[in-house]
This record gives sequence, C-alpha cells and structure tokens, in this order.
Amino acid sequence: MGTFELLAGGLQNAFALGAFLTIVIGLMVGVIAGALPGISFVNAMAIALPFTYVMTPTQAMLFLGGIYVGGVFGGSISSIMINVPGTPASLPACWDGYPMTRRGEVRRAISIAVTASATGGLASALLLTFGAAPFASFALRFSQPEFFAATVLGLISVIAIAKDRPAVSLLSMLLGIVVGTVGVDSTYGVPRFTFGVPALQSGIDFTVVMIGLFAVSEVIDLLATNRDLRPKKTAGQGLPIRFRDIWDIRGAIARGAGLGCIIGVVPGAGATPAAVIAYGIERQASPRGREFGTGVESGLAAPEAAKNATTGAAMIPLLTLGIPGSAATAIMLAAMMLHGVNPGPMLFLTDPTMIYTIFVAMIVANLLMIGAGIGVAQFFSTLMRTPPAVLAAFIVVLSVVGAYGVRNNIFDVYVCLAFGVLGWVMKRTGFPSAPLVLGVILGPLAERYFMTSLASSGGDWTVFFTRPISGTILLLAFLFAVWSLYPSIKGALANFRASREAEHGSRN
Amino acid sequence: MKITALSGEHMQDDPAFQRQRRNWREMVPHLLAPATFLVAMLLLPQAIFEGSVPQARGNGPGPGAWPGTMLHLAAICSAIWLIQEIAAWWRNRPAPVEVPELEAAGEEYGYLKAVLGLGLIIAYGWLLPIIGFTLVTVLFIATWCVLGGIRNPFAVVPVAVLGTIVLLWMFMGAAVMPLPRGIGVFDQFSIATLQMLGIY
Amino acid sequence: MTRTAAFLAAAGLFVAQPVLNGPALAQTDYPSRPIEMIVTFGPGGGADLMGRQLARLLTNELGVSIPVSNVAGASGNAGLTRLATSAPDGYTIGTLIALTVSSWAGGLGDVSPEDFHVVAVVQSSPGFIFVPAASPHQTAEALFDHARENPGALRVATSGYGTMDDVTLQLLAQAGIEMTNVPFEAPSERYAAPLGGHSDAIYEEPGDVAQFIEAGQLVPVVVFAAERHPDFPDVPTAAELGLDIAELDIFRSIAVPAGTPDEIVARLEEAVVTAVASDEWQAFCQQTYTCIEPVTGEAAQEMVTGFHDLIARQLQN
Repeated sequence: MGTFELLAGGLQNAFALGAFLTIVIGLMVGVIAGALPGISFVNAMAIALPFTYVMTPTQAMLFLGGIYVGGVFGGSISSIMINVPGTPASLPACWDGYPMTRRGEVRRAISIAVTASATGGLASALLLTFGAAPFASFALRFSQPEFFAATVLGLISVIAIAKDRPAVSLLSMLLGIVVGTVGVDSTYGVPRFTFGVPALQSGIDFTVVMIGLFAVSEVIDLLATNRDLRPKKTAGQGLPIRFRDIWDIRGAIARGAGLGCIIGVVPGAGATPAAVIAYGIERQASPRGREFGTGVESGLAAPEAAKNATTGAAMIPLLTLGIPGSAATAIMLAAMMLHGVNPGPMLFLTDPTMIYTIFVAMIVANLLMIGAGIGVAQFFSTLMRTPPAVLAAFIVVLSVVGAYGVRNNIFDVYVCLAFGVLGWVMKRTGFPSAPLVLGVILGPLAERYFMTSLASSGGDWTVFFTRPISGTILLLAFLFAVWSLYPSIKGALANFRASREAEHGSRN
Repeated sequence: MKITALSGEHMQDDPAFQRQRRNWREMVPHLLAPATFLVAMLLLPQAIFEGSVPQARGNGPGPGAWPGTMLHLAAICSAIWLIQEIAAWWRNRPAPVEVPELEAAGEEYGYLKAVLGLGLIIAYGWLLPIIGFTLVTVLFIATWCVLGGIRNPFAVVPVAVLGTIVLLWMFMGAAVMPLPRGIGVFDQFSIATLQMLGIY
Repeated sequence: MTRTAAFLAAAGLFVAQPVLNGPALAQTDYPSRPIEMIVTFGPGGGADLMGRQLARLLTNELGVSIPVSNVAGASGNAGLTRLATSAPDGYTIGTLIALTVSSWAGGLGDVSPEDFHVVAVVQSSPGFIFVPAASPHQTAEALFDHARENPGALRVATSGYGTMDDVTLQLLAQAGIEMTNVPFEAPSERYAAPLGGHSDAIYEEPGDVAQFIEAGQLVPVVVFAAERHPDFPDVPTAAELGLDIAELDIFRSIAVPAGTPDEIVARLEEAVVTAVASDEWQAFCQQTYTCIEPVTGEAAQEMVTGFHDLIARQLQN
C-alpha cells in the first residue's frame, strides 16, 4: 500500500498552487517552443535550465517535465500547419497531418494529434508510475548489441515509409548515415570527411539538417507559389472532432502508444525512431495503408501517440537508474544535480515524495496537454492569417536561430542553409528527404553501438545474432523489411509479367 | 526529370509510339541522378580521411570501416536504381517518379522567385556573423516581404523592425542566447541597440 | 558552399582581430555588460555543471548576468575555437577541461594551450577503476591478478581511444595488466555497462558516478593518484600496488582568449577564487568529489601545458 500513500502525497504536492502553475507554464512554454519551426524541445529545455535555479528541485523537475511533454507534442503543430516539423520526432506528422490542413481540416488534424499524443503520454506516465522498477531492470538487460539491433529496426523502417522506390529511399538513408559520420569519430577520436575544414570536426547535427531540408524548401515553395495556408472558414465552426472519430482510430493510438513505451525505455533511442517505426507499422497494419500520405487519420495518430509515449518511458532509466537516455533527460539530470539531488536508486529511499510528485505531475501534464495544445494551436492558426510572405520570412529567421541555437555555432547555420538548398533540389526532383534525416539521426547511434559491441566481444561479429534479445530484434527487423517490401516485389513481378505479355502482344 | 515522368505516363497507352521514342535522349535525365550517385559513392571512400589512414585499434575494425561500408551499400543502391531506370526505359515505362505535390495540385511554380529566395536566404546566413543578427534580420524580413509582394513601406518597415525587436527580446533577452552581434563597428552598433532595448 | 562560408567567416574574424585588439577597451568599468560563458560540452555533463554553477556564483561577484552557451562538438574543440577567436576583452570566458586537452594530442582541434589564458583550475579529480557490486574481483589485487593470468579477458568501459582512460589502460598493459578497452562515447551508456554486467569494470572519476557509489552499485578499487583520495581513504593508489601511474587527473578550468588584458584576468581570477570559496560551491564540489584549492596564474597555465605534453608523449609510444 506504500505506493498509494506516496501517490496520494504526490497528488497533494502536484496540485499545490505553485506546483500546478509550474506544470502549466512549463507545458505552455514547451508547446510554443516546439511549435516554432527550428526551436526544438531540447533547445527549450536547455534555455529554461537557468530559470530552474530559483526553484525547488521538485519544481524544477515539474517545469522541465512540462516543457518536455508539451514540446514533444508542440512540434507537430508546425508539422501539421506549415509542413515544417517543429522537432525531428514530428516528421511523420507532416505526412498525413499537412494533407489534412490542405483540405481545410487543420483543426481536425490538430485535435487528432493532441488526443493521440496525450493518450500515448498518459499511457507512458502510468507505466512510469506503476512499472518503473521492472522496466528499469529490463532496460539494464539491454547492452550494445541490443541497442544496435533496435537502431537497425529503426533504419529498416524507411523501407516501410518509402512510397514507391525502396532502393532510392535506402540510398537517401545511407547518404544520411554518411552525413552523420562527418566529424570526430566517437570511438577513435579521428576526424572524418572534414575536407580540410576544422569546423566540420564538430560534425553535422541532425536537427540542423532537418531544419534545412524541410523549413527552407517549404518557405521557398510558399514564395514561389503564393499558396494560401489560411484555414478555411467552413472547418472553423463547432466541435472540430467528435469522440466517434477518435474511437475509430483507437487501434492506431494503442499500437503507437505501446510501441513508444517500449522504445522509450531503451536508452539512446528516442521519440523520433519511435514515431517513424510506428508510422511504418501502421502503414502496413492499416487497411488504408495505400492511402497513407494523403491525410489518413490513423497515419497521423499512430506516430503522435508513439512519440509522446516515449516521454514517460524515457524518465524510467533516469529516475530509477540515474541514467539519462536522451538529450532531454540529460538536461533533467543536470537540473537535479545543480540542486544537489542525485537521481538513481538512492532517491527512492531518500526522497520518495519527490519521485511520486514527478509521477503525478507527468500524468497531470498529459491531461492538461489537450487544453494547452488546442489553445496554442488556436493561437497559431491566428498567426496563419498573416500574409504568406511575412510568415515565410519569420520561418526563415526562426530556422536560422534554431540551427544556431543547437550548439550556438554559426557554422551550423551554414550547414543548415546548405541543406536548405539541397532540400529544395530534392523536393523539386522527388528525391525523398525523410530517410536522409532518419539516417543522420540513427546512423551515428548505429555506428557507436556497432563499434562498442565489437570492442566488447573481442571482434566477434556473430554476437549480434547469438544474443537472444538482439537476435530476436534483428529477426523482427528482417521480417518487417520483407513485409514492407512485399507490395513492391509483387508490383515488380506484375510489371515483369505485364511487359512479357506486352512483348508477346507486339510480336503477334 | 518530372517532365519526362509525366510524358512517360501519357504515352503508355500507345505502344507503337513508345517504341519509336525509346531513345537515348529520353533516357539521359532519368539516368543522370543514379549514375552521378554511383560514381560519387565509389569515389567518396577516398575522402574519409585527410592524409594517412589511421590504424585500427583494439578489437574494432577501425574508424574507416563504418562510413566505407555505408558508401559501398549506397553504391549498390545507386546501381539498383540505375538498373531499374534502364529496365523501365527498356520496357517503355519509366519508373514512377514521386512528382512534387505542387505539380499534382496544379499550382504554378515561379522558379525565378524561388532562386531569388534561395539567394536571399544564403545572403542572410552569410551576413549574419558579419553585420550581426539585429541589422541582418531587419534587412532580411523587409527584402523578403518586398519579394513576396508586400510593397507598402508602411507595412514592410514596421513588420521588419517590430518583428526583429520581438525576436531580440525573445532570444537574446528572455532566452539569453548569444546570437552573433557582428564584427567591428557592427558589434558596437549591436551592443548599443541591445543596451537601448534594455537587454544588456 | 560550406567551405567558402567557413573561409569567409575565418576571414571575417581575422579582419576583426586588430579592431578589437587595438585600443585598450575601457577596463575600469569591467564588466559593464553580460559575459558569455562558453561551455564546451552539451547540457548535462560534468563540464556543463561546472560552467553553470560557476556562472551562477560569478554573477553575484561581478554584478552582471553570465549566460551559459553550450557549444558542443569535436571533444570540446568547437567551443574552444569559438573562445580562441572571440575578442580578448573578458566578455567571453569558457571551460577548458582535461578531455579536450588530451584530444589535441590525438590531432583534433585547431587550437593549442598558447591560445588561452587559463584563469583558474577549479575542479580536479583523479581517475578510479570501479567494479560492479556483483564482481568476483572486489579488490585491485584480485582484479589485476585476474588480468595478468587472462590477458584481455576483462573489459573496462572507457570514454574512448586516445583519452586519459586509454592512456591509463595502456600504462597498465605495459606493466603486464592487459585489459580490453571498451569505448562508450555516451556517459550514460558507459555507466550502465558495469551495472548491467556488460563490462567488468569502468574507468571514471568518482563525481560522475557518485549516485552509484553511494548506492553501493559501483565499488572503487584503485585510484590513479600520488596520494589516497580523502573521500575514499580505503582505496589504494596505483603506486601502492607498484604501478607508476599518476598525474592524469581530470581537471576542469576556466579560460579566456590569450591576449586578454591582465587587469581583466585579475578581476576574473579574484571573482572565481571568491566564488569557489563560497559554501554553495563547496557543497557542489563535495557532491562531485572534485574539491581542490583553485590553481591560478602561471601554475594553472603550466598545469594545462604539462598535461598536454604528458598525453602527447604517452600516445606517441
């Protein structure tokens, strides 16, 4: 019963006025920062860190937790409204969210996204509250080969999200992996692909690549077409969505949330692979899979649920083991350390109230997010009424500030703009850019896990297949690839047969 | 590339016409991209390191192994792409090119404006560290608005100036980000502006 | 495009140098505007914690705000390049830590110790080898004996090849104690490896794994220092075990670009020394096992140069 007493205490603490306001402010900051193209929630959390100095440790965690939860969702607002992902994890929200906006269903899309996100986040907050201990030991069972296998699964999912040509998508992803190897190698400390430019030693950050590829090409399109993004009047009236609509996509939300919870626990992975894998799986699982990319509700809901389901799950290794699995949780760790609090197993003994207050706060934050999300979306749709030229100018400035702000480095701005030009060319020629971003994100992780696995196993390559968990994940990845490729193999066979018949026909 | 893709689909119904058109000229734009990628992927392994190739240490395969393998895989993908394009040409059915959605929606695309816009964005990034965030942002927003068709100076100037002040407050004030102030006299200008706005 | 841009940026900075160096800037009223603190690693690490803690305390001392900007990349070299090329007027200060200095020996970065004026070394900690609580080798003797009998069988989690960790393991190997270096770039994964039983030991400074030491999950077995660590009086030094491995302490310092006027450096130094003496800082450094008397002036500069030479010599062997 100890748990419930502690939960009750946490409930009291979280609903104390000061704490409650902290959560709400954190959420709003997170949603707004996430929704600004270029500014990611990791950026926002780093910027917010100094403000936590004056707070109590618990308040600091509530504030950062609010930004985290809000920011992971907020990125989807700009994905859906202007086709520029606010954070990398919101990439899949562009694919089915933006087409809905173009149909004039922006409020519907936002409502689906925020409901799915909140449901996913709530599921993982509950997992955090009741399943932290067993999941923490599950996370420790994972070692480098397992991480590698999980990353391969993430990379394989590009085949599933590829529209028509798996080879071209794979090529794009491999190019992304190569881009990710630029700079100092993480294992040997040797610079690679620096071409005599010392600044390239810092490597190329995936957020910078993403901002460049998506934001720049989008504003250029805005300029070149004078497209009108203003929400259509008809969609603005009454309730934007009925409960029935959400109920119809409950399967997609549940699948996404489950997947996000599992991927979130694994240190190193994060919201982005979770969202992309969820989209890939949903595309295969949904009866409307072929329509994905044209504004299908479940294609929007599944990755939304998955990415927010990583938020609570990612805090499990942080709070129970003291091991931050991602950039966001590393900032939370810093906030606690700066207050003299060491998270980890000792914290459960020394200050369980704080832990349970955080648990309750995560649950509360996800519930409040529905309101915050819709409110901010309303505000942003007002902004969308500004002329496209003004909107585009500010998107560029925000993107440049965002690229600069990733590491406060002007070179990142140059990299961002170079990828901006590249992204525009890719968009005009139909070369897929999403796999490239995924490659830049996951490639360095995959390499690191691969190298460390080999160093640990004494150079034995079979370790990836002989370890049960890693072998299973790799098998799943293989099956997933075959499953995803099946339609295009079938298509190729049909093509071949058709051309054979055509040959026959022309001969006769 | 997109033009050939569209024309390819139009011609599908008429085999006789297609046979006649199976020529090199149609093939070139389709093959250009995969062939370029193939050559680049085969050449890039030489560029991984500057100077000597570092020796592998410990049990690992060395720092060149991972990017090298990825480039080889990329070369294979490029080759498959190339073969697919050739096969499609041979069958008179170019592989479906993912036509940009804009074309699909039938919107007109102003390439001149697009290129001007790209140039403006690059100029923005280039001038940013030289003349500082404040000045370059005012200039950029104003120029972009003009390019985007807003010509009224009573709209352009306030949007640019007030917008920049809001951004300065948000990022250099509230978020204390060290955005570039420019060099030399521009640095002094930026500092003076920031002091005037009460940020410094 | 990027290369041209980098060249232009470099050219721009080059042009800027004389302008900013030229007239002695008004030093009497230093500091009169915010001072930028460049932390050369991302948020959440040891360097970041030091930079933020110090920035907070220096704000009280100097009376201006000191925003922290994380400029991560290339083992801290991205931030140092930025520091070295910013105006030497005391309005840009940065963190300079042992890991970055050791990376210069491996050929990284485009700066050298002479590009900086080290204001003060404020934190330092020797490296330890820790074993997990469940390890069959709970003492250094047991661990090293096992390594002697089974060369390379024991896996030690480190931060990578070419670092202090690597140099220490190389020195051990030269003494016949051969253990396998398993590099983990991400600190969190490095700590998780021994906890999950995926490596047999970990080389680390105690502050970074404080919570695991307190929880009894990691046990220190040997310290690579001349003397025993006051917080771990039962842990033998390498010298006691007949191994001459010391002076590879993991230090963290505050530096300004070379050429910063002496009065400004003196003002900063004074503020740093006061800040480090504060109760708040003492609580912080105790928590991270990194308390030292701040090293300032010539001694600080020599500490950095000496460390650089030592690592460079060792990596050449």
